Amino acid sequence: MSLVFTAPPRRMGLRAILRVVGFAGLGAILVVVGLSNVLAYAPADAQNVGRALSPPSQVFPFGTDLFGRDVLSEVLHALAVTVGHATIAVVVTIVTGGILGFLAVRFPMRTGAVLRWIASVLGALPPLFLAILIIGLTSRGFAPEAAGLAAAPHAFLRAFDRARALARSRHAEFARATGIPVTTLMRRDLVYEIRDNFLSMAARSLAAVTITLATLSFFGFGASPPRRDLGLMIAAARESYFDAWWTAAFPALVLMLFILCARLAACLDEGEQP
Amino acid sequence: MVRFGLVETGRYAAALLGALLLAGLVQAAGAEGGFVHAAIVRLIALAHFDFGNSAMTGAPAWPEVLKRLPATFSLLGGGAAIALVLGLPLGLILSWGRALRAGAPLIQIVAAAPVFCAGLALLFLAHRANWDVSAKTGLGFWPSVFGGDVGGVARALTAFGLPALVVGAAGAATIQLAIRRAAKDAVREPYRETLRWMGLGAFEIDRRYIAPRVLAGLFANLGEVALSLFAATAVAEWVFGWPGAATLFIHSVALGDWDVAALVLLVFATLALTADFLGHMLARAMGDA
Amino acid sequence: MSLFKIDDLSIDGAVERFSLDLNASDTVVLLGEAGCGKGAVMRLLAGFPADVTNGTFQAGDGEARPAGRPLVATAYLPSAVAAPLSPHVSALSQLIRIVSRKLALPKSDAREAFERVLSRLEGAPPLSDLEPIARMLSRETLAWGLFTCAFAQAPKLLLADHALTGLAPTQARLLVRALLAEQRRQGFAILYAAMNTDVAGWLGAKVMVMRHGKVVEEGPIAALETNQTHAYSQTFFKAMSANVQAAPRAANRGQPVIQAYDVQTGRETKAGDGLTFELRRGASLALLGEEGSGRRALVRVLLGLEQPRSGRVVLDAVDVGILTEKMLLRLRRRVAVIAGADDVLDPRMTLWDTVSEPLRAHLKLPRDLVATYRDAALKRVGLASVPGDRAVATLSAFDKRRLQVARAIVSAPLLAVIDEPLRGLDAFAQSVMRDLLKNFRAQEGPAFLVVTSDFAVAQALCEDAMIVKGGKVIERGAIADLVKAPKEPQTKALIDASLGRLPESTKRV
Repeated sequence: MSLVFTAPPRRMGLRAILRVVGFAGLGAILVVVGLSNVLAYAPADAQNVGRALSPPSQVFPFGTDLFGRDVLSEVLHALAVTVGHATIAVVVTIVTGGILGFLAVRFPMRTGAVLRWIASVLGALPPLFLAILIIGLTSRGFAPEAAGLAAAPHAFLRAFDRARALARSRHAEFARATGIPVTTLMRRDLVYEIRDNFLSMAARSLAAVTITLATLSFFGFGASPPRRDLGLMIAAARESYFDAWWTAAFPALVLMLFILCARLAACLDEGEQP
Repeated sequence: MVRFGLVETGRYAAALLGALLLAGLVQAAGAEGGFVHAAIVRLIALAHFDFGNSAMTGAPAWPEVLKRLPATFSLLGGGAAIALVLGLPLGLILSWGRALRAGAPLIQIVAAAPVFCAGLALLFLAHRANWDVSAKTGLGFWPSVFGGDVGGVARALTAFGLPALVVGAAGAATIQLAIRRAAKDAVREPYRETLRWMGLGAFEIDRRYIAPRVLAGLFANLGEVALSLFAATAVAEWVFGWPGAATLFIHSVALGDWDVAALVLLVFATLALTADFLGHMLARAMGDA
Repeated sequence: MSLFKIDDLSIDGAVERFSLDLNASDTVVLLGEAGCGKGAVMRLLAGFPADVTNGTFQAGDGEARPAGRPLVATAYLPSAVAAPLSPHVSALSQLIRIVSRKLALPKSDAREAFERVLSRLEGAPPLSDLEPIARMLSRETLAWGLFTCAFAQAPKLLLADHALTGLAPTQARLLVRALLAEQRRQGFAILYAAMNTDVAGWLGAKVMVMRHGKVVEEGPIAALETNQTHAYSQTFFKAMSANVQAAPRAANRGQPVIQAYDVQTGRETKAGDGLTFELRRGASLALLGEEGSGRRALVRVLLGLEQPRSGRVVLDAVDVGILTEKMLLRLRRRVAVIAGADDVLDPRMTLWDTVSEPLRAHLKLPRDLVATYRDAALKRVGLASVPGDRAVATLSAFDKRRLQVARAIVSAPLLAVIDEPLRGLDAFAQSVMRDLLKNFRAQEGPAFLVVTSDFAVAQALCEDAMIVKGGKVIERGAIADLVKAPKEPQTKALIDASLGRLPESTKRV
């Protein structure tokens, strides 16, 4: 028996369970977001609800911040903004990255190859830089779309390479040899791609864009007050969190929980970048 | 191998050209006049190694960026070293099924933390422990190391170590994953069993035939490792207030200084593409030893 | 003198009450399907720990000991098809390392020993052919290296695990000769695990037929060939070509399906080497040759998948050279392909989708009619009991092969291209596949174009054959005539490789 390398256990059963847990978590978050106005103690950005910087208590389970806002209420509202922006970004990523990448393989006159080249150049930049660049060229209001476009090159490359492998596979060659039209093969590949990979692709994109959106807001390029998202909440807490840890810790934990659910739903390996 | 090298070199050259084009287009975004005309002018200038001027200072953009690169490379170097020290053994240990089962939840939770949250958490600890985490102190780390100044190293350790740890942790996650995946593929190869039946020992097979494949897998992912290090470096610079190229990029975009922003992008893109190219070549050389 | 004795061996979940008494220079073939227990016996003898619940080993006159480590020097000889070496490292360096380890010699001495053995094997490639990384070697060259490695270990017992499976017949014959020559020289016993009876015939061995971990029948091959008592043994020996009827000549032949005029495919061919032939509906033609002879390149040109270097191909009365890709696709609707590979079917598709795709894509039939044809085809190939919504990826190789036949049936083709249809199947599966293909030809009546390197397969499915070498046809004619009086050495070599499996052949080594 080797001391160094052993075949890892077949974890398909566990992965399936974790996937369900991930989607269940995302579902629960969606429900919470839908009920945020009901669950929240105070409306968004309602100041002086309690004493400033008071620690977690029975009345304010997440404490209050520098302006006396209920941190729990603010987290709920910010989560709604984060989820909303992330959803827009995911749609952009899937359309401009996933679907385009998958179809581009069959574009005529080597258009697909050119698009792949563009995606590989853009993919050489960290998505955060790309998003900041797009926002700089447009506006902060474009942040969700920018985050989506920033994640698109990697999604494009994954989808393109997968589609290319399918188009060059032996079974595709076999189908061509027996007269199956290219459109039928394309339709078949697209249907199976959506059936087998769409949810994973969406969850993966969700994890990626959420991190980018939160970081953008932290840097000041994302959401702007009064509609604060979790990243902006954490950025705002920088002034106070050394003494009032709850002002940053709870938004960060909720953000991590959201990203964790997306990672589990996407069946990402431990340590894999989304 | 020769053919592979030629193909990869072609891809690398094409990608570098694309990065140059991107830089030119970004610079053209801030120029006056029509965009197309500005883009052509900027691209011709880039071809002559004219990287434009900073809109803020009026000085050439290149020295502005060059001034900031040492801070970035300092963090990058420290982060890369930590990533290797953490990531390599972690990847090997987690290749063992039982260890993976035990460690997987923790890694998954840590991986869900955005880099800036990790940075803020470390800053909080430093504040509680009363450590000096100023960028000025941290920048003295490598000069102290190369100058043999033990006291200086000790003084700069936390100021440098914490942001480097943030960068290193992100890189380590990617490294351990690359090793685990390569190990997973390699251990399932049929020859591993057949060679044992033919008379070789298990350790010998792993050392001679599996380990190079695992290392090759790591090299093949060098581009991804580089990207995760760059992204983490940008965040660490911002969180810990380091005056690096990433911070310069963010300020440049905010102020519309497109020549400088484009140059920073070009530098990062070139580094990432070069890491990817070298990684693939090394992987191929190791894989077919 | 008894070399090695196994008495009443049982391995938990794999083997039950297995006994074997091997003398020096004996040859025994363990015959059975995958999972019959022969692999477990081989691995235990190769020195691998197993859950032995009972049994003893005895070496020569020594004491009987509980079954565990083998008591004689063994050499394990795997199949070249099973990727036994690391594909990224020089094959020669790995083989020499094995010899060095087994004989406890320095690498330089092990290399010398390896070279010595290789140089005396008739038909073996030069040492330099083994230098490249293993994945760059052909199966046959790799097989030579593996055989040499096993011989160089000077074993008392050689454990050959499907060592000749998947090799070109001519090379397989040479390897068998080398194996027997070395056995005479060194005096080792051979224990050979096989899925087919061909090897037993070549080796003149004693056969032990295994099923579900037990030996159901055993005896010398000469006796078992003609007289089997166990029903399971009968299925194996039925698959031997000696019992298989040659393909009958088709009574009616229709319009020409393929016409080739002076077609050249490869760079090695020169002016005058062009191929001209015609294949009519209902007729059958085998393209026989070794791997790399250019048969598949020829088929690709005939189907319009590649352009010929020169010449003209007419497929179903249409000149292929003037058609666009889209028109070619329409033309190829009347072509069915059945290949001896596991990856030609889309693993994501279900059984139902795989079979009904030609109907939906080409004919746009209503659903219920598609279902009727689909179910009928699945029933004919024996897959009716398999749930139709199962993915192809979950099927065995045999089931995938049958699924290809079902798909061919529904497409009602003019031409069926059949590429090594029996490759990788055990004897039972081969017998079933052969019957299915013959039935398919008899019922649907397409022209058969069979690509194979096995004369027995060609004879079972076709009437005529063309022998291909270096991209050109070197001999052609009715198979029966070719077998009786082959003119070319390559033809003779291919026939010899099927030794013992053709009705006309009676020669044994």
